[in-house]
Formats: sequence, C-alpha cells, structure tokens
Amino acid sequence: MIHLTLFKNDLKQIVRDPIMTLLLFAPLLLIVVFKLLELFLVPYLAAKTGFDITPYFPYVLSFVLLMNSGMLGIVTGFMMLDERDGNISQLLEVTPLGRNGYLANRLIFASILAIIYGFIGIAVFKLPDLSFFTIVLLSVLSAFYTAIIGLLIFSGAEDKVKGLTFAKGLNTLVLFAFADLFALPWLTFLSWFFPPYWVTMIIKTPDSLIAICFAIVIHVAWLGILIFRYSRRES
Amino acid sequence: MRLLHAVMADIRFQIKQGFYLVYVIITAMYLIIMSFLPDDILAVALPLVVFSDPSVLGLFFIGGIILMEKGQGVLMVLVVSPLRSWEYILSKVISLAIVSVLAAIAITYFSYYPTVNWWLLLVSSILTSGIFTLLGIMINAGCNTVNQYMLKTIPYMLLFILPCFALLGFPYSELFTIIPSVAALKLMLGSFHGILWYEATALAVYLLGINLLLLKFTVRVFENKIVYQD
Repeated sequence: MIHLTLFKNDLKQIVRDPIMTLLLFAPLLLIVVFKLLELFLVPYLAAKTGFDITPYFPYVLSFVLLMNSGMLGIVTGFMMLDERDGNISQLLEVTPLGRNGYLANRLIFASILAIIYGFIGIAVFKLPDLSFFTIVLLSVLSAFYTAIIGLLIFSGAEDKVKGLTFAKGLNTLVLFAFADLFALPWLTFLSWFFPPYWVTMIIKTPDSLIAICFAIVIHVAWLGILIFRYSRRES
Repeated sequence: MRLLHAVMADIRFQIKQGFYLVYVIITAMYLIIMSFLPDDILAVALPLVVFSDPSVLGLFFIGGIILMEKGQGVLMVLVVSPLRSWEYILSKVISLAIVSVLAAIAITYFSYYPTVNWWLLLVSSILTSGIFTLLGIMINAGCNTVNQYMLKTIPYMLLFILPCFALLGFPYSELFTIIPSVAALKLMLGSFHGILWYEATALAVYLLGINLLLLKFTVRVFENKIVYQD
C-alpha cells in the first residue's frame, strides 16, 4: 500500500515537474531519431557508398534498447543522488517504507518505463524473427538493465560529479553489444560477463535456449550483486 | 598566479573524480572500434569522434561540477576570495580543455591515421572545448539538479549539432560556418584532411573571438544567475 501511494506521488511529482516529464519522454526522442536515420540515412549511405546496413539491424535494435534503458537508469541514478544530497532519501528511509522500500520504489518505477519503451522500440524497429516471448524477454531485460545502471550510479558515486563520471564510463558498456563484430576472442570472452552482449545475442538468435538462460543469469547476477553491495554498505 | 593555482586545483579535483581514468577507458573503446574501420571510413569517423566526444566533454561535466560546488558553498566563498569570477571560469575551461586535448591526441595517435596536422588538432580541440564548457556554464544557470541540466542541454546540442550536417554540402551550406560548432568541425576536419592556411587561420580567429565573447557573457550570467541568483 505504501509503495502504491509513493508510486502515485512519484507520478504526480513527475507530471507537475515539466522537466522530469520531458526527461522521461526523452527515450521516445531517441527512438524517433534512430527511425529517421533508418528511413533517410540508410538509403543515402547505400546510394553513396554501397554500404548495406540491413545485416546489422539486430545491433541497431540492441543499441536502441540499451541506450533507452541506460538513459532511464542514469536519470534514476541522478534522481536518487539529488535526493541523497537534499536528505530526502534519508527522510524516506525512516518512514515505514524503509531503505529497501525506497530503493525498490525508485528502481521499479524506472524499470516499468523501460519495459514500455522496450516494447515501443521493438515495435518501431520490427525484426521479423522475434516472437512475442522474445519481445517480452527483451523488455524485461531492459528493465533489469535500467535498474543495474541506476544502482551502479547511486551506490558507486559519492557525489554528482562522480555520478557523471560513472555515467560517462557506463556508456562504454554498450560496446559489449557489438563484441562479436570485432572478432576479438578476448573481447568476446569479456563481453560474456556483461548484460549488453546477451541482449544482442537474444536478438540475433532468439531461439537459442543457451543465450536466453545466460542473459537471464547475467542480468539477475548483476542486479543481485549490486543490491547486496548497496545493502551491506548502507548497513 | 591565482589562475595557475586554480587550474592546478581543478586538475587535482578531476583526477580524484576519475575524469582521466574514465577517458582512458573511453579512448580504449574508441581505439577498438577504430581499428576495425576501413581507411576510407576511418577518415570520416576519426574527426567526428574527436569532435563529438573529447571536444564536447566540458559540456557534459561542467553542469555537475558547478552544481556540486554550489551545493558545497564553494561559490559563496568565491565572492569573498581574491579569485575573480573570470579566473574561476577560465580555470574550469583550461582544466577541462586539458582532458579534451589529451583524449583527442591519444585517440588520434593510436588510430594511426597517416596525415594529421597536430598543431591544428590541438588548436581546434582547445577552441571547441572552450565553447562547449562556457556554454555548459550558461546552461547551468537556473538548474538545481543534474537531470534538469542534462535536459536543458538537449535543445542547445540540437542547435549546435544539427547544422553540422551542412558540411555534407548543399547550396549555400557555407553560410552555416557562422555557427561556431560548424566552424569548429570544419577546422577539426581540416586537421585530418588538410585545409588552406588562410581558411584555417580565419576559422581559428573566429572561434577564438567566439570563445572570448562567450567568456565575457558567461562571467555575467555566472555572477548574476549562479552566484548571486539575481
């Protein structure tokens, strides 16, 4: 009940603050920009250079999903950092909601948005091979990735500037989504341990049970470790 | 001397905050990507990467730096300290330009691009970095959170980045050179692909002028809107 009340309050707060509303719609902007690039730049490139990007569409979709969920994670991370600086999080932690409730509330809110944007992104960049199950799975993994990025920033950064440094560094994780393009064995091996690689793998081989299992395990493991680390540090 | 001390303090702060470390990682990422690009694509991608990331990093970081220093009361101390506002701002611009230049040089050097005019690369990186850092300080006025700042940068980025497509070439596209980002990108591309000396000089002088104008304007905005908050 407390979660629901806070969730409603968060929604109210976001609707009242035009900046937060716009920020939460920013992923839509990214989807639109990429769709426009697909519609106009791809034929232009093909005509000018003969470069056909079609075989790389799974990577483009993976990139869009990761950027969207990463962006939501970064926004959530900074929201929590600002709340920590303003002592709002400490205030909420002593309410019946508690520390874990506060964290869950913030992360679940962003994760739900990530699921919605996941569906929208996949619908806009339709890839014929993706079943409904795969679409749901990718959207849920996007939600996990959002929570992972949000937690990495919130628990890793002591202040806003370090948060920005983290955000900048975390963008490099997207490289792992393209790891198999580079055909570097060490990079591919390293990528196995990071969520972006498995998002691409699921898009490329949606029927592979191994890819699905690994994707779930890696995402859950990252989130689990981060929550454990956060709880231990705070206590 | 005050300025030098301020720059040194800012560099120490940036090292502590991991700016240099994160740019080592980012440079490594770009180098992996660049090493797989064919030469004709590398010729276009490399200047674009140097322009879009290291040169613009000031815009990304300055928002958080000012907000944090405002929160810590550093800006209030600034009012009673001998350090002038313009020195404070210039110190931020110089220290962030150093990170920009080092990252730009590292990415370019290790990409093994055959024909680079290093002096021009240095000049274009410094001038571009200055413009974006000063722009970031102005955008920061009126922001209370990093999210607000990041959102406020979006229209400015669109305003500065979209005209860069004019370099693809269409009738009267030369007119867009008046936009500082287009002039900066032109100079950056010139450092890789070659540029006539008088065109390079004109662009560099123009960008220097824009930097000085922005600095003057930024000092006013910084004092009125950030330090004294009107």
